[in-house]
Amino acid sequence: MKQKCMVIALVSLALLFHSCAPREDAERGMVRVVFKHGMISGDYDEMQAILKGFERENPGITVKDEILPASTDEQHQFYVTNLEGESADFDVLGMDVIWVPEFARAGWLRDIGHLLSEKEKEDIFPGPLEAVTYKGRVWAVPWYIDAGVLYYRKDLLEKHRAAPPETWAELCGTAARIMAREKGMYGFIWQGKQYEGLVCNALEYFWGNGGGLLDGGKVVIDCPENAEALRFMRDLIVLYRVSPPLVTTVMEEPSRLLFGSGKAVFMRNWPYAWNIFQRPDSAVRGKVGVAKLPSFKKGMSASALGGWQIGVNRYAKCPLEAEKFVRYLTSPPVQKDLALALGYRPTRRSLYRDRDLVAAQPFTAGLYEVFMRARPRPVTPYYMMLTQVMQPEFSAAVNGIKSPEEALRSARLQMEHIMGAGR
Amino acid sequence: MTRRVPFYLLLALALAYSAGPFLWQAITSLKPEAELASLPPLLPLRPTVSHYVTVFTRYPFFRIISNSAVVAASTTALSLAVGSLCAFGLSKLRVFRKRLILALVLSVSMFPPIATVSPLFIVIRALGLRDTLFALIVIYTTFSLPLSIWALTNFFDSVPDEIFRAARIDGCGPFQSFYRIMLPLSAPALFSTAILVFIFSWNEFLFALTFTSTAASRTIPVAIALFPGLHEIPWGDIAAASVTVTAPLVMLVIAFQRRIVEGLTSGAVKG
Amino acid sequence: MTGGEKGNRFVLPAMALLSLVTFYPVVYVVYLSLQRRLVIFDIAEFVGVDNYLFLIQDARFWNALKNTAYFTVLSVSLELLLGLGIALLLNRSFRFRGLARAVVLVPWAIPTVVSAKMWEWMYNPDYGILNYLLGAKINWLGDPFTAIHAAVLMDVWKTVPFAVILLTAGLQIIPQEIMRAARIDGASPCQAFRRITLPLLAPVILVVLIFRTLDAFRVFDSIYVLTGGGPANTTETLSIYAYRVLFQTLQFGYGSALSVVVFLCTGSMSLLYIKMLTRGGR
Repeated sequence: MKQKCMVIALVSLALLFHSCAPREDAERGMVRVVFKHGMISGDYDEMQAILKGFERENPGITVKDEILPASTDEQHQFYVTNLEGESADFDVLGMDVIWVPEFARAGWLRDIGHLLSEKEKEDIFPGPLEAVTYKGRVWAVPWYIDAGVLYYRKDLLEKHRAAPPETWAELCGTAARIMAREKGMYGFIWQGKQYEGLVCNALEYFWGNGGGLLDGGKVVIDCPENAEALRFMRDLIVLYRVSPPLVTTVMEEPSRLLFGSGKAVFMRNWPYAWNIFQRPDSAVRGKVGVAKLPSFKKGMSASALGGWQIGVNRYAKCPLEAEKFVRYLTSPPVQKDLALALGYRPTRRSLYRDRDLVAAQPFTAGLYEVFMRARPRPVTPYYMMLTQVMQPEFSAAVNGIKSPEEALRSARLQMEHIMGAGR
Repeated sequence: MTRRVPFYLLLALALAYSAGPFLWQAITSLKPEAELASLPPLLPLRPTVSHYVTVFTRYPFFRIISNSAVVAASTTALSLAVGSLCAFGLSKLRVFRKRLILALVLSVSMFPPIATVSPLFIVIRALGLRDTLFALIVIYTTFSLPLSIWALTNFFDSVPDEIFRAARIDGCGPFQSFYRIMLPLSAPALFSTAILVFIFSWNEFLFALTFTSTAASRTIPVAIALFPGLHEIPWGDIAAASVTVTAPLVMLVIAFQRRIVEGLTSGAVKG
Repeated sequence: MTGGEKGNRFVLPAMALLSLVTFYPVVYVVYLSLQRRLVIFDIAEFVGVDNYLFLIQDARFWNALKNTAYFTVLSVSLELLLGLGIALLLNRSFRFRGLARAVVLVPWAIPTVVSAKMWEWMYNPDYGILNYLLGAKINWLGDPFTAIHAAVLMDVWKTVPFAVILLTAGLQIIPQEIMRAARIDGASPCQAFRRITLPLLAPVILVVLIFRTLDAFRVFDSIYVLTGGGPANTTETLSIYAYRVLFQTLQFGYGSALSVVVFLCTGSMSLLYIKMLTRGGR
């Protein structure tokens, strides 16, 4: 027994020292930029090739990319722990669209507005540009863009002679009609679990009805437009019965799986699902169409803006090299490469007229109108606090635990309290 | 024989309850992408091992498993060594304020880990241990000590004091009675505690995420958290990975159990 | 206790390690809890017990406390009962006992984040296996009542092995002679269990109760992944709330105060257990 213990202890100690041996450091005389970002789905070698491209163009600089889980919660927590500790362990970081004002206000980001000329700014979609601008200065460069879209079953709509809906009323009508004739189909799937995605979903209804959250610094969340929109979300489940109750418990993936196995007529989701639907073993391959989200009155469609931005750590060891890297990563050729290789949607409008991109990714190019209309969630350092209040209130409303008016009023009181607290 | 029927029935129920969800996970791991979200059928129509292939080809999974094994084994060894010493002292020797010490030890596991992770990060960085397995081993050992100490103190308490009195009269020092008498006598307790500590460090996520940043020191739970893309969750791959990392643990337990517990308990009863 | 030799040398390494690693974090959390610290706005000022005063009127805190307490009581008692039952089953001798013991361990061995996702998958009303087996159409995570119990069920499944492992070891240590003597004296199995097994097992039960309560009361990632605290915060626990305040909204002072409250709750519960069982059991 004793010997065995000793052996185990020794072996583990040996392994320990092995693993603690100094790791190869940056080559002599080279500057190393550490790039921290969420997991990139798709072919990882493509990303590596893009990083190698930077090293080729910039002799003397190496890039080390360190990957974080794709989950935004885990990334946010990691960055907060590190930046609050003034960590210089990484130089360049990828950020969700809602963090930029928060990180900027906390003083964790370097002002990198000078990386974008006025002409370039004009070329970037208005939504992401607004999202990275705080107090008139630019704190990050938009890397790729995301926005909510409506997926529909092209084949079923054709069969039942319906056009892609432009208003929510049309969507309800079409869905109900098709559900009555096709057995076992769900009408419309969206994301109603208590999490950030629910806020994105809800905002799209609010905006599509002329509502909103903040007006300047004022909280206007409990306006009648919002109440009507929120009530409609609940009614999708209980009144029109086109959405199954399960929508209040799902995030993106479960809804994508349901639609992808051919069980739903409509789905609200991000553009990522498109490529998955086109895979050879997909049940809905070739049967899916995409449109901009419906609204309450025609022409008011609005999508919640998503996507990731690249910024420079205020405590970075090599800020100038880091800026160079940001510039490279968000440059038109690299954004084009990313779009072609990994399906990432560029933030630069001119690329949507690029001949190669239009030919290779007609789907992406076709989203131009949606991206033009994509609106950022309120660009304020308070946003992360506000959303913690909105998530449970919206969840209460879509689950029928509170009336929409009650939920919105309670949200307003809490939000006003928060906005008053920071001064 | 018929008297044992209810027993076997209950046993079957317990086993089904424990293993059922895992079996479902194993079945899922064999389903091709397109069948993941369809039920019925229960079993895959076209079973595939592609998820397992992906797990080992796309990710440095061997490296990750070995990282986890090193961390978990070292933590277990350290935690048991330090913990059993402490437990022996508390249980069989004269220690000032035994109860207070036990309460203090326990207090370590009373804070939510999320509250201590930021200051711990600063400690780890100050010690220059960021992104090393050693950081994880130190942290895990610390946070597994309350369990080791409490469980072992209790088990040691149930070993009669007379044995040690007799040993002392025979000229046995405290350290000798610790490893010559106490350790062999409490093999089942050591083994159980070891399993708990081992699996705790095998599965810990929060600290591993915060204190490591490269594949050099990444452990299994963090590696699995890296599977999903921004929105897409490759559930088949995750199922395959979780089956892959659970199976060796089960075999380890079976192997150890036979050799240590059953062998030594029969000896211990005589002692 | 044998008295005799001093055991300080034996206790020292553990105490040294514990204090080295946890002293700073613990003191720091308590210190933060007395501050108004909003990282985003560069505010860090000493406010005494203001955070605690705010906490008393914070409805979300009371809601989280209620959820946590309910979750803890229900899941710990179920775990103890089931764990005891399974440990007794596994203590009898039968073929393949070693294998059975290993199989019972399986849930404990699956990483928490994976098992939570796995249960979310199984609870899905459309393609989840639970509704399929039950032939039902229950929206498990969409209704406040079923959601909290779904979380309990998941936690019980995951952590029963913890109880089983410790209790099995406890049963193994009970000398066979005592049981044999009891049987010769004509005690029924039920009496033997109540009069002999249970009292001898009491210290182990105490350990199981304490550690399971501590863990259940601090439950975080499993429920966070499963429900996100929803619907409408009906499954939000204290740790989830503290996590949100700390890492999502960066109110370090208030988040730390919440954590200190968790500490106080778990601490007083542990003391209660120790009092209860040392009086009744020994």
